[in-house]
Amino acid sequence: MRAIALLALLAGFSGARAEEAFVTNQLSDDLTIVDLSTSKPVATIPIGGKPAGVAVSHDGRFAYVTSPDAKAVTVVDASARRVVGRVEVGGGPLGIAVAPDGATVYVADWFAAAVRVIDAGERRVVASLAVGASPSGLAVTPDGRLLLSADRDDDSVSITDISAHERRGIVKVGIRPFGVIIDTEGKCAYTANVGSNDVSVIDIATAREIGRVHVGLRPYAVALAQGRGFVTDQYDGKVSVFDLATLQPVKRITVGDYPEGIEATADGKRIVVANWESNTLSVIDAAEMKVIGEVKVGDGPRAFGAFLRRTE
Amino acid sequence: MRLTFAKAGVVVAALAVLGAAWAHGPTRQKVRESIEIDAPQAKVWAVIGNFQDMSWLAGVAKTEGEKGNEIGATRRLTLAPGITIDEELYKYEPEMMSYSYRITAVDVKVLPVTNYSSTLSVSPAPGGKAKLEWAGAFYRGFPNNDPPPELSDEAAVKAVSELYRGGLAALKKKIESGS
Repeated sequence: MRAIALLALLAGFSGARAEEAFVTNQLSDDLTIVDLSTSKPVATIPIGGKPAGVAVSHDGRFAYVTSPDAKAVTVVDASARRVVGRVEVGGGPLGIAVAPDGATVYVADWFAAAVRVIDAGERRVVASLAVGASPSGLAVTPDGRLLLSADRDDDSVSITDISAHERRGIVKVGIRPFGVIIDTEGKCAYTANVGSNDVSVIDIATAREIGRVHVGLRPYAVALAQGRGFVTDQYDGKVSVFDLATLQPVKRITVGDYPEGIEATADGKRIVVANWESNTLSVIDAAEMKVIGEVKVGDGPRAFGAFLRRTE
Repeated sequence: MRLTFAKAGVVVAALAVLGAAWAHGPTRQKVRESIEIDAPQAKVWAVIGNFQDMSWLAGVAKTEGEKGNEIGATRRLTLAPGITIDEELYKYEPEMMSYSYRITAVDVKVLPVTNYSSTLSVSPAPGGKAKLEWAGAFYRGFPNNDPPPELSDEAAVKAVSELYRGGLAALKKKIESGS
């Protein structure tokens, strides 16, 4: 009886972690796929063009990878673990996001004030959206209606109505917003402000900044889990944790050097961090707020975007 | 020893415009160099551990700064008349024999990088020796697309690698010769 209970517990445990990380290694020019249930790399896929941004479709079928030097987006079949397409986008593709229905992919052009719109089925650019200067992180609301772009050199976030192709709001935030994430309700967005060492909280409906949280040096991106925000502080080698309700700091967790891409697993139990300088992933227990694992990846991992994929 | 910064004779154009100092290319570069020095760790740290004195690096004629080794301390390295690099200390861990700083202003003609940060650390090496490591993270000198060759990713890595290798080798020689 006890053995069965234990087995069930183990099965539940591993099931909750059936996820993979798609890590862009910018300096080794490839993508490492890490099985988070075993904490082992399971594939390395050559990409080229200094891959940086990544977005896995919600159904887990595709991973879209930006290569700024190649001015292209690479389409990876996530389960087959091979490249199946390439979309020439021009400019400097960096931040990337996939619409919840998987039909559209949005790519920020770092060198222009524009987001390129890719038809995922046709794998070509079909439109362009005007945003602010040096758009970096992108995020789409869960209903698929609004696109948020962190416009780094304008210190603001653009809120664009996707179907109308129209910028509906410009929200002033901290200095040099880079990563942006939207909560599961589609109510609030959070930007990591590299220049002012803080996180801005945005109320999406009113297009206003409603809070600011001081974090460590050179914050890169934000993940949300367990009612808390987790922020990669590049120059500190730490993840700052704050309470989403009170916006008060909770803890700072030491990870690898120059932590960058960060995302919570779908069950909110783990936080996965790419350490650019250390060439590792740190896995954090989100409730305990401590590092429980480390995985070696390629050189210069950035994993900028939604880089985790559910496998079941 | 090869002079590691760009030649001092270069005509310095306007310093990197402040507003542009934040802009950078798409790919951050890393350089990590280390050297073993036949001396106790403490001796090596004593030579490099003062943020207000970078006289150990070839090419630095003068170090002037404020706030000693406090977090946020600043220094200006003068390489030649009118040719300077401004830096700020953001991590200082004497117990770890390590500190980290970033460049707040440099002309890309002097060092072809932007958004540069760096860590110096002393650690133990076999046989009672010390290992001095210098690690840098930075973007190329040209912030926009399609850089000219002298401001490319490769040029940035080359310049910083040469700076570190030259600096470490000279320091090893200086300490081991007892000067």
